[in-house]
Amino acid sequence: MTRVVVIGAGVAGLVAAIRLADGGARVALLNKGTGGLQLGQGTIDILGYSPDRVERPLEALQAFAQANPRHPYATLDAECVRAGTGYLQELLGPALLVGDPDVNLQLPTAAGAIRPTALVPPSMAAGGCVSGANFVIVGLRQLKDFYPELVAGNLARTDLPGGGRLSARAAMLDFPAREGEVDSNALTYARALDDPAYRRRFARAVKALVGEGETVGLPAVLGLDDHDAWTDIADQIGAPVFEIPLPPPSVPGLRLNRALTARAKTSGVRMVPGSKVTGFRASGGSVNSVQLAVAGGPRDFVADAFLLATGGFESGALHADSYHNVHESVFDLPLRIPQGHLVHGDYWGDPQPLFTLGVETEPSMLVRHPDGDAVYDNLYAAGGILAGATRWQEKSGEGIALASAVRAADSILATAASVATSQGAAS
Amino acid sequence: MNAHESLEFAQTQVARASLDHCVKCTICETHCPVSAVTPKFTGPKFVGPQAERFRHGESVDHSLDYCSSCGACTLACPQGVNIAELNSQARAVMKADHMPLRDQLVSQTTLMGMAMTPVAPLANAALQVKPLRTVIEKVLGLHRDAPMPKANTQTITGWLKKRKKPVKAATRGPVVFFHGCAGGYFEVETSKKSIEVLEYLGYEVLVPKQGCCGLAQQSNGLFDGATDKVLKLCDELRSAGRDLTIISSSGSCTGMLKHEAHEIMGVDDSRLKDVGTRIRDIMEFLLELDEAGELPTDFAEIPLTAVYHAPCQLKSQGMGQPALEILKLIPGVEAVESEATCCGIAGTYGLKKEKYDIAQAVGRPLFDKIKRVNPEFAMCDTETCRWQIRKGSGAQVEHPIFLVHQAYGLS
Repeated sequence: MTRVVVIGAGVAGLVAAIRLADGGARVALLNKGTGGLQLGQGTIDILGYSPDRVERPLEALQAFAQANPRHPYATLDAECVRAGTGYLQELLGPALLVGDPDVNLQLPTAAGAIRPTALVPPSMAAGGCVSGANFVIVGLRQLKDFYPELVAGNLARTDLPGGGRLSARAAMLDFPAREGEVDSNALTYARALDDPAYRRRFARAVKALVGEGETVGLPAVLGLDDHDAWTDIADQIGAPVFEIPLPPPSVPGLRLNRALTARAKTSGVRMVPGSKVTGFRASGGSVNSVQLAVAGGPRDFVADAFLLATGGFESGALHADSYHNVHESVFDLPLRIPQGHLVHGDYWGDPQPLFTLGVETEPSMLVRHPDGDAVYDNLYAAGGILAGATRWQEKSGEGIALASAVRAADSILATAASVATSQGAAS
Repeated sequence: MNAHESLEFAQTQVARASLDHCVKCTICETHCPVSAVTPKFTGPKFVGPQAERFRHGESVDHSLDYCSSCGACTLACPQGVNIAELNSQARAVMKADHMPLRDQLVSQTTLMGMAMTPVAPLANAALQVKPLRTVIEKVLGLHRDAPMPKANTQTITGWLKKRKKPVKAATRGPVVFFHGCAGGYFEVETSKKSIEVLEYLGYEVLVPKQGCCGLAQQSNGLFDGATDKVLKLCDELRSAGRDLTIISSSGSCTGMLKHEAHEIMGVDDSRLKDVGTRIRDIMEFLLELDEAGELPTDFAEIPLTAVYHAPCQLKSQGMGQPALEILKLIPGVEAVESEATCCGIAGTYGLKKEKYDIAQAVGRPLFDKIKRVNPEFAMCDTETCRWQIRKGSGAQVEHPIFLVHQAYGLS
């Protein structure tokens, strides 16, 4: 049985680990801290801006890759992205993820901007900002991070991407998540709304604020473990309901993270959270093991293949010193570093070159020297560590992560299968 | 560093080196089992990296005392902030000049075992007497319904003296066994089975005379006493032989030796470092053998589906859940991961009058899961957690080594 170590438990690491384990590999998933899923919106971006707002992401991918030949989408084409997002939809099912990778939805943010994204939790689907939509945005007095006047005001004064305007008004509800707490976070509300009795009282209070023909926009707190909580609330209110994602802790992100983590465990992935990979051993052009700094000293994790899915600067996978010398923190891999200054002074200007920095890979996702050969014959990379993308500006993060995770997992499994075949033939 | 210096360390150094790594991402908040069930604790980020900025010796936020020190926050932090350690240190400083008598007594675990063992039936009966427990609650602040250990008539030392020595010659050399005070006095069966499994595998098991690791004192902020205890224990474990692997079936005490004494109390002593790097949790040890192809896996089938709960202080060692991997090797066993961050007891936290209800609320999802999956039997690696889970679920709760012992045909 081929052994694989996956480093990092964001969407790329989790999805790759599941695919590898289901494909017959013995997988250990090592992660220093919880992955980034619960810091995001719980939606799956493929391509939101190229740089103009994108309506059909997979269609736009080819022209985008041609204009950006160093971008991960230059090797991870539309079919690969479709395979990645399709696999995620299969893993999560329609209770957690709906939508069409060919079409972007235009959804409201907690600041009342309109954000393009492709796959969304079903609880957000009714929030499409289309001409003639009629929203009431309901806030909760005890919930910081969500101001309905801001959301409704901005939405109502925006010329919509598809043309026209929508109507939106704000309403505020005085409804504590638990007694004695005047300042609750999203998670506390989500836990409270898992309880059907609390939910009933909540729905009744919201219903009193809703006018004829209005669609109800609520902060994304409608249940954590109970994935049907939002439909129950919509039924009781008697109007369509949608969630608007908040700053972290992101409840929709938590739902995805929990579902994928549970799925990884079911698939037999050995989860080793909380320790940092601090070193590795390599010989003959292959990585043999990584060292994990657990309490009481480093332990070796030996494997046949390694997948680096550690993210970018935000997770510490890439580190820049004050001279702008940048290092990859696990293997000190060669990086593709843009020419010239890495950071320019124009905050609102072009993307900062620094953020396109990362590792370059072969089409199999084997890490290679920039424009050169593979660094090791069994070290792969996926997700935010890949060079060439400015993920948050393009809204491309999950699309790249999923496409590269699936391709890396399939490359590792294919290599293992061909090794097994040749060994079988030799014996 | 002597005992007084460790409190000094907590007061001035704390885990402050990691403080500025906090990006306020809230990941720790989502993992906290205490703030999930009560608004009395405002959460690890608020009480830790945020409140720490306002502390100048004295604490500004007394909700700190409601932190159970389970360590889930530090484990979850992607930025390497020592949140739980920061909180434990700040609490020790906060309590230093008015340490409750209750907290000083409840952390004397060895004393409790020594006092109860000779009069085990009497002690066990006394702890069942409601009026007596009510008085204890009133006078000492230990909740009347809090789980208490069941005293044994025989200690592990007594058993080792009386038992027949193993007939099979040791083929794999000597190892040192650390049973902890609970494994010496109360959970003696776990220690016996661990020793027998190690002997079955071919090890000569050395069990030096040993005291307490000081974890209960540490978690109550009594750093002086805890430092003395942990260093004394290091001397005792080291006396059995140099460079030998030390193996323990006491999940949480192992963590005290591996990292907590150093990271929380700042004990910087070569003896602790020596023991801390040589010690292995017994399931971790078995998994290392398996990874190296050296663990016999001719296990007998045990048809059993049961919840396995990894204690918070075992998970905080950052090695995953080795018991889950070992249990997968036993045919017929389906170990269902508890998915619970903590059982609620967190050492002595859940014994305390003002925290009992919180500890029960923290443990409830775990108790409910055991009742759903298998109400008769569950597994957990730490003694105090087993007492809490037995009381909360009504199930027999044992160390996972019980199943390994049985699957090797030893019971």
